[in-house]
Amino acid sequence: MSSDDTLEKISVPSAPITPWRMYLIFTLFAVGFIYIFCGLFYRQLIQSQDLIDQANLQSETIVWRPPTRGKIVDRNNVTLVENRVRWSVKANLLGLEGEIDREYRALVKAEKAKESTIKINYEILHQEARVNVLNRWLKKIWFVIDASNQKKSPSEKKRVKFLADSPERQVNVTALAKHMRDSRIFKFTLISDLTFPELRNQISDEEADRSVARFIEQFPVDGPITIESDMIRSYPYGSMACHTLGYVKDTNQLPNDFDPNFEISFKKLSKSKYTGKIGAEGLEQTHDYTLKGSSGWERWTKTSAGYKRELLESYPQREGSQVRLSLDVNIQLAAEKALTAIKDNAGNPLPSAAVMLDVNTGEILAIASLPNYNPNRLASKVTIKYFDEIQEQGGWMNRATQGLYAPGSTYKLITAIAGMRSGKIDYDDILDCGRSLWIGNHEFVEHEPYGFGQVDVEKMLAISCNVWNYRVGLMVGPDLLAQEARRFGLDKTLLKTNPNIMGAENTSQYEIPSPARKMVIPDANFKRSVGQGNWTSGDTANTSIGQGFILTTPLHMACFAASVARGETRTTPTIFHDPLRIPYHEDSRPIGLNRNQLNAIREGMVRCVTEGTARSIQIPGFQFAAKTGTSEYFKNGQKAHLAWIIGYAPAKNPKVAFAVLVEGQNDTNTWGGVTAGPVGQAMVKEWLNSKNKQSEE
Amino acid sequence: MNNHQKGAKASYIALAVFILIWISGTSALHRFTKETFAEFQAPALQIVSKGGDLARYWELKSRSNEELIAASRDLARINAALELRIHSMDDIRRENTRLRENARYTANSEFLTVVARVISRDSSSWWQKIIIRKGRTDGIRPGSPVVFSNRVIGRVSAVHLNISEVDLVTSPTFRCTAFLIGDEKRRIVYVRGDAANSLSPNKAKVTAIPIDYNPPTGQPIKVLTTGLGGVFPSGLILGEVDGGIRMSTDDNYKVADLNPAKDLNMIEEVSVLVPQYPTAHEILLAPSEKIKLEEFK
Amino acid sequence: MSVLWAWFFLILATYPWLFAADLVSSTLASSGLNYFITGAALIAPCRRLKRWQAVLFAGCVGFMFEAYRPIPNGTVAISLVTLAILLGNYRSYLRTSLGMIQAAVVVNAAAAIIWFTASAYLCEAPTDIYNAIYQAALQGTLSGLVGLIIIMPLATTQNWIMDLMGVPSAQDLL
Repeated sequence: MSSDDTLEKISVPSAPITPWRMYLIFTLFAVGFIYIFCGLFYRQLIQSQDLIDQANLQSETIVWRPPTRGKIVDRNNVTLVENRVRWSVKANLLGLEGEIDREYRALVKAEKAKESTIKINYEILHQEARVNVLNRWLKKIWFVIDASNQKKSPSEKKRVKFLADSPERQVNVTALAKHMRDSRIFKFTLISDLTFPELRNQISDEEADRSVARFIEQFPVDGPITIESDMIRSYPYGSMACHTLGYVKDTNQLPNDFDPNFEISFKKLSKSKYTGKIGAEGLEQTHDYTLKGSSGWERWTKTSAGYKRELLESYPQREGSQVRLSLDVNIQLAAEKALTAIKDNAGNPLPSAAVMLDVNTGEILAIASLPNYNPNRLASKVTIKYFDEIQEQGGWMNRATQGLYAPGSTYKLITAIAGMRSGKIDYDDILDCGRSLWIGNHEFVEHEPYGFGQVDVEKMLAISCNVWNYRVGLMVGPDLLAQEARRFGLDKTLLKTNPNIMGAENTSQYEIPSPARKMVIPDANFKRSVGQGNWTSGDTANTSIGQGFILTTPLHMACFAASVARGETRTTPTIFHDPLRIPYHEDSRPIGLNRNQLNAIREGMVRCVTEGTARSIQIPGFQFAAKTGTSEYFKNGQKAHLAWIIGYAPAKNPKVAFAVLVEGQNDTNTWGGVTAGPVGQAMVKEWLNSKNKQSEE
Repeated sequence: MNNHQKGAKASYIALAVFILIWISGTSALHRFTKETFAEFQAPALQIVSKGGDLARYWELKSRSNEELIAASRDLARINAALELRIHSMDDIRRENTRLRENARYTANSEFLTVVARVISRDSSSWWQKIIIRKGRTDGIRPGSPVVFSNRVIGRVSAVHLNISEVDLVTSPTFRCTAFLIGDEKRRIVYVRGDAANSLSPNKAKVTAIPIDYNPPTGQPIKVLTTGLGGVFPSGLILGEVDGGIRMSTDDNYKVADLNPAKDLNMIEEVSVLVPQYPTAHEILLAPSEKIKLEEFK
Repeated sequence: MSVLWAWFFLILATYPWLFAADLVSSTLASSGLNYFITGAALIAPCRRLKRWQAVLFAGCVGFMFEAYRPIPNGTVAISLVTLAILLGNYRSYLRTSLGMIQAAVVVNAAAAIIWFTASAYLCEAPTDIYNAIYQAALQGTLSGLVGLIIIMPLATTQNWIMDLMGVPSAQDLL
């Protein structure tokens, strides 16, 4: 066959293509092209921005730069709250897989060998294998931490002794189960804080660091057990002033100090949920805004494997600001030490509170409340166990600002002032005070079996004569008495944030969270409103010695003492220190007594210390003024006593005022002068010390 | 199918079997193999090092008398100064012993010092180590710190019969705690070797530096051992912070680079501080068959 | 001496080379680079020795490299044995000098990258993956280069020993 033949064959069409078919094909192609063209046009020009954004989203990531929380310092710039490194020991469960598997198989074998009829629960065995393996590692870890094989110095021995019953010597089985359920790809925490915050203040910081150092230097580097470090809040003085300082807890609430656009893109980009810390109590809560600073962030492009590639933009974090408190660490420590020394019959410290103020400025030098808690133990994680433990002891309550108590005989100052201001009695009037006073058919007794005889204002305050007060109270009447108490602001909520000082960004209403607001200054209306019937003369007598319905807080009584010391009616307390503060006391008026009357009150309080109910707490060579009180209250349906002391120092030209309260129990002997007095004395002594130190410097 | 192809197939199967045996084999087998091959090579290392010493000897021998006289004169001066120092040290040691007796606290970290020559250095991005000419027979035990005068060089990582391996401060397997000078609160920081880049100087990393740490101005920031960990005596120099302290990108503390105290790749001689009693570290490193944990409790 | 012991004497003859490479690494330790020739040392033996002998040789050389280095136990030995088996099965490619040089470069670089990666595994995982890859590439390239330079003198030594031991030449095989 020639090549021509071939050509011929090919050139002959098998069938002619008719024009309409051609047109159809062309049309189809045209439609197709138009479709593709429109599609491309839509995608490339109209949708382009969205698609670019979407692509960016998939290839971008946000990295958080958490801020450092600000410090809290006392008036002398001693650090009360700071941040420290926390070291934790973690186990990489993936790395332990082989070991766990071997253990598991051994357990299954042992179980099968038993030939019991009970069906083997493999899940439980698996968990048991995990626990066994981790416990084995923990044993090694503790072997290193304890330095079991080495001679130890006494301080080291102390550390080991304190750690002997640490709960972290064994794996927390429930935590492990939860970990396996929720976050098994992460490392499991075996020891959450190698410096063991519960040991703070029991052993030196350096000794506490020894566990960390021993682990780092002696535990084999390669292996499934690693050490990790991060920063957490630290309270160097432990439980000191915990109610004022507060603690921090985890939050997943995004801090609200970003521009809204960023927040939206954060939500889109961030894989991990935000976790940060937020103040939960005390100043950490009320001044969270100041302390927390603001977070920074970085926007990165990432590779398909998720690694960071290129930094697109960043926003630096801003460190939180420092807050300076008016507290004086030494006085605070002295107050807490003295309070802790007051024990019940079982040897536990009694619930109590103590406050010391600067008379002129109202700055709080010490404010203590027992029982308390150790915020260091809450810093890494608020455990339900510890939370409940505090709850059970009543440690959450700040008794100095939230505890409502009958002020007892300290209230006799009000009765005396009311008597003199109403003109019913003068400073040198003498009343005959027997062993009791009959009001209606009820006998109101003196606390001294034979009475006190001839009593004037001064003597009354020194010896705390009840009958004098019953009589003056009845003379003045309940309305004037209540009016006088209100004039001194015993029912006014204290510690309100001063908007002029703290600036607008602080939204919290009070300087310390939720101070008491339901103080009671009783009168006829009040008694009716609580459904207790009509006011009687007996109620007046009771009120005149600070018992009955009346309720106020230790802080109020400290402010009252400061006001008396200044010869005014109100003292506005504050927890913040300002060296340039111009004393200002809201709604304060002159006390409204003439010089002799005021002198009588002050002299009476001095005599209370020198020869009266508080004579056991004299400080040789130093004169100060006080008024004790012992009021009855009902605990578990039985009578118990509240011990009070309020006062100021020095007697001439007063600088500080104080109030102490101790909640007696049913079976304790709790008396104002004897029980509460030493705490007041300790605070005054410490104040004197620091004053002397300052003048030396 | 010819013999060659059959052999190829068999060899792959044999390889698979061997890998299986190796993986499932006990750690004793692994250790034995490693130890055998290490000891096999040890004599060569020794010979080379001794050869180096010999060369040095002949080099010294060729010096002129004048040179030697000058050198011995210098040495005599140094000797006199050192003798004085030894006297004062003796007093201090006595005082120390007396105080310890008073406090009823015997030191737990009495060290036996073994001086050793460096045979060879070995470094990559992932490890920096030296091999020294003293081993098990000289009493060296794993985990012992290695120093040069008052500077930390590293730590013994493995001991053979006559030679030992030392992980340098810059090796990622090295870690210890330290204080930074100028930190009055003496808060511990974490020092660990850093995976280095080839062709660039080796460094270690200092992490967990508190944010409020203020370095002293006008002088290098020295990093000193804490003595808390029970391995290194306190106050030895680990090195100096290089290039300033910066905020960590991931954590809320500061970090810095550490320049080791001595040019670790030039060092010729080191001292190994062998603790009198085995440390916990050593016991944990020891093969479990030899020492049981309980024995030390 | 029996041909059976050829592998052992080959190791003795090769060891000075390996040791010299270690010494070079030692004196240049500050560079952080290893002068790795262990891979290149496999080429000549695999070309002439029986397969089992080559495997033994490779295993021993691998273990020797590992002895003083923090590498997961047996990684280098196993990878060298694997490489030796591969080389043995494709020994026809090794007949020419060019083939040997190519093999030396490739095998040396591959083995170097394997140990480099394996040792990175023991070191806490490097955070910067790009840098790690760069470092591995650097080490690999260097090893390739070293393989290229060293293969001829090294193979000459090894061939000389094998000739002494009466190992049949490569041409006689197959």
